Amino acid sequence: MNFMVELLKVLTETNATSGREEKIRERILELVSPHVDGHRVDRLGNLVVWKEGKSGKKILLDAHMDEIGVVVTHVDEKGFLRVEMVGGVDPRNLLGARIRFLNDKEICGIVGVEGETREELKRNLEKLDFDRIYVDIGAPSKEEALKRVEIGTFGVYDSQFEKLDDTCVSKAMDDRVGCAVLIKLFESLTDPKHSVYGVFSVQEEVGLVGASVAAYEIDPEVAIAVDVTGAFDTPKALKRMGMKLGAGPAIKVMDRASISDRNLVSRLVETAEKHGIPHQMEVLVFGGTNAAGYQRTKSGIPSATISIPTRYIHTPHEMVNVHDVESTVNLLKFFCQEAFD
Amino acid sequence: MHLQELSEISGVSGQEERVREYIKEKVSSVASEFWTDALGNLLVLRKGKKNSKKLLLAAHMDEVGMMVTRINDDGTLSVMPVGGLRPLVVLGKHVRVGNEVVGVVGTRPIHLQRDQKKKVEWSDLRVDCGFTSKEEAKKHVKVGTYVSFITRFLEGKTYFSGKAFDDRGGCSVLLDVLERIEKPMYDTAFAFVVQEETGLRGSTVVAEQVKPDVAIVVETTTAGDVPELEDYHWATHLGDGPAITFMHRGYVVDPRIFERLIALAKREKVPFQYKMRTAGGTDAARFARSLYGLPSGVVSIPCRYIHSPVSVMHRDDYLHTVKLVEKIVETGEVIP
Repeated sequence: MNFMVELLKVLTETNATSGREEKIRERILELVSPHVDGHRVDRLGNLVVWKEGKSGKKILLDAHMDEIGVVVTHVDEKGFLRVEMVGGVDPRNLLGARIRFLNDKEICGIVGVEGETREELKRNLEKLDFDRIYVDIGAPSKEEALKRVEIGTFGVYDSQFEKLDDTCVSKAMDDRVGCAVLIKLFESLTDPKHSVYGVFSVQEEVGLVGASVAAYEIDPEVAIAVDVTGAFDTPKALKRMGMKLGAGPAIKVMDRASISDRNLVSRLVETAEKHGIPHQMEVLVFGGTNAAGYQRTKSGIPSATISIPTRYIHTPHEMVNVHDVESTVNLLKFFCQEAFD
Repeated sequence: MHLQELSEISGVSGQEERVREYIKEKVSSVASEFWTDALGNLLVLRKGKKNSKKLLLAAHMDEVGMMVTRINDDGTLSVMPVGGLRPLVVLGKHVRVGNEVVGVVGTRPIHLQRDQKKKVEWSDLRVDCGFTSKEEAKKHVKVGTYVSFITRFLEGKTYFSGKAFDDRGGCSVLLDVLERIEKPMYDTAFAFVVQEETGLRGSTVVAEQVKPDVAIVVETTTAGDVPELEDYHWATHLGDGPAITFMHRGYVVDPRIFERLIALAKREKVPFQYKMRTAGGTDAARFARSLYGLPSGVVSIPCRYIHSPVSVMHRDDYLHTVKLVEKIVETGEVIP
C-alpha cells in the first residue's frame, strides 16, 4: 500500500462502529505490523503498536478506530426496525442515506420518517429525532427481519470513497484519516531516537473510552491525539473559526474537552516552522478529542492534538485534503525525532 | 430478599450511611473480608475456587432526592434536586427531612392557580415541616440537610412498589447472591457504591482497590411500558426478565460480555430481554475507564416510574435477576 489515497479508501470503507472495532483493528494490524517492533490488544480492544528507541523516552500517538453509527433497538411486527445513535449522528443525515449493518450478511437499510398527516410529517421532518424514524430492510415480517438483524446489531452510513482533485471524500474519515497518518508514520520511522507507541483506540465517539485507559501501562512522556477538526472555508460557514482545507495540519490549542499542553504546542509549531511544513493553529469552540483522556490518566500526561481539517464531519461524506494528511505525517515524523532536544 | 428493608431506608447520594450499615450487618455473617473506603463505598470480597481471575459486581446504594438550600423566613425550606429528579414528581408528597423531621412538598391548590399550564420549577417548591418561624426551623434543619421520599413498600401478588428501587433492587440482588452462593468460581468482589446518581462518582475509586478483570453492574432500569408510549419506544417491559444492555450513554458494552451474558441466560433458562433504549448511563461507563480498562457488562431489573417517589417492579423479574447474577458468580463465564 504505497499511496495515501488507497490507504484512506481501504480504511474508510471498512465498517466498524464504536464497540464493534474488530474488523478495522484486523485491517490496521495487517497494514502496520510490517513496520513495528511489536503490538498488543489491551482489555478494551485498543490496538497498541510500538517501535523501540534508545533514549528511554516514550511518545504516544493516538488515532481512534471507531466510527459513528446506529444500533438496532426494536423490530416491529411488520419487520421495520428502530435504531438509536452510536456517537453523534444527526438523524437528518440518515434521510436519503443508506445504512449498512455490521453482521455477516452486511445488509442494507433505508430510513423513513413517520407522519400520519402531511402536517405531522412536516413537523417530524422539521424536528427530526430518532423516535420519529424507522429503518426498512425490505423484510416482510418480524420473523424475516430477525433472520437478518438482531436487536443490538450495529450499523454505519453506507457511502463510497471518492477522490475529488486533491481531496478525498468518505464516511469515517473521522478518524480513519488519523489511523492512516499513524500507519504511514510507522512506515517512515527508521531507527527512531525515542520509542514511539501508536494507539488505535476504541469507543472515542461515545466518550473517549479507549483513550481513558490506553496509556495506563505505557506511561509515556507525552501523548498526541491525531484526529479531525472542522474546516470552515465553505460558503457561509461558521465564522468564528478559520481552519481551512489545504493549509496543513491544525495544531490545536483548545477545544471543549482539553487545553493542549503549552510546551507541546510550542514544540510542534517550532518543528513545523523549522522544516517548512505548512500548518495552522486551531481553537475549536466545541468538540473534544482523546487528548482529554490522556491528560487525565494516572498522574497526568502532557497532551495535545494535531487535527486534519475536515469538511462535513459526522456526515456520510467527510472531506479531507491529501496534502494536509501527508504534511501531518511529516510533522509527526520530525517531532518524533526532535521532541525532547 | 431485602428489597423492603432497603427501599424504606433514606439514602440520597452522599448520605448512604444507613443503607451501608444495613448491608454491612447482613454481609458480616456471610463474608469475612469487607471494608468501607474513603468515599463510603462498601466492598465485600469472597474467595473463589480459583484465583486466576477476578470478578467485580456492583450496585449503587444511593437514591435520588433533594437537599435544603435555604431556610425561609416563614419556616419553610427551599430545596434543590440531588440526582436526576423532575420537580413535577415531588409535588404534594410527604418527605423526610434529615432523619427526624417529616414535611410535605406544598403545592398551590387548583383554586389559586391562574395559569394551569405553568411548568413546575424547583424555585416554586417549598418543603413545609410545620415550623412557624425561621428560628424554629433552624433548630431542626440546616442548609445541606438531605430530603428524601417516604414511601412504604407494598407487596402485591405480582408486583412490588416502593421508592428507591433504583438501585436498592441491585443491592438486594447482590445481598441475596452473597447469602446463597457457596463458593464463586473466581475471587469475586461485591461493591455497594455511593453517589451513582450524581454522576458515577463512587465507582471511580472501586477498581483501584480490587483490580478485577471484569465488572458487571447490577442496576434497576427504566421500563417505559406505559400506554402513552408506543411499544417500540419502551426501554424494557415488566415481566420479561432481566434486561441485558448492549450499549448505553458513554459505553458500548464489550461484545464478548454481552454475548456471554445472553448465552448464560439461555443455557440456565432465565428469561431475559434486551434494554431497548441507549439513554442513561451506569457505573459500567466508569469501570470501563478505570485503571487499564475493565470490560464491563450491565444486567438490570426493569422498573416503572424510577426517579420518582414510587416505582413498580415485577416479582419474577427480581427473582430471575437473582438467578442470573448467581449464575454469573457461580460460573465466572462472563470473564473473556
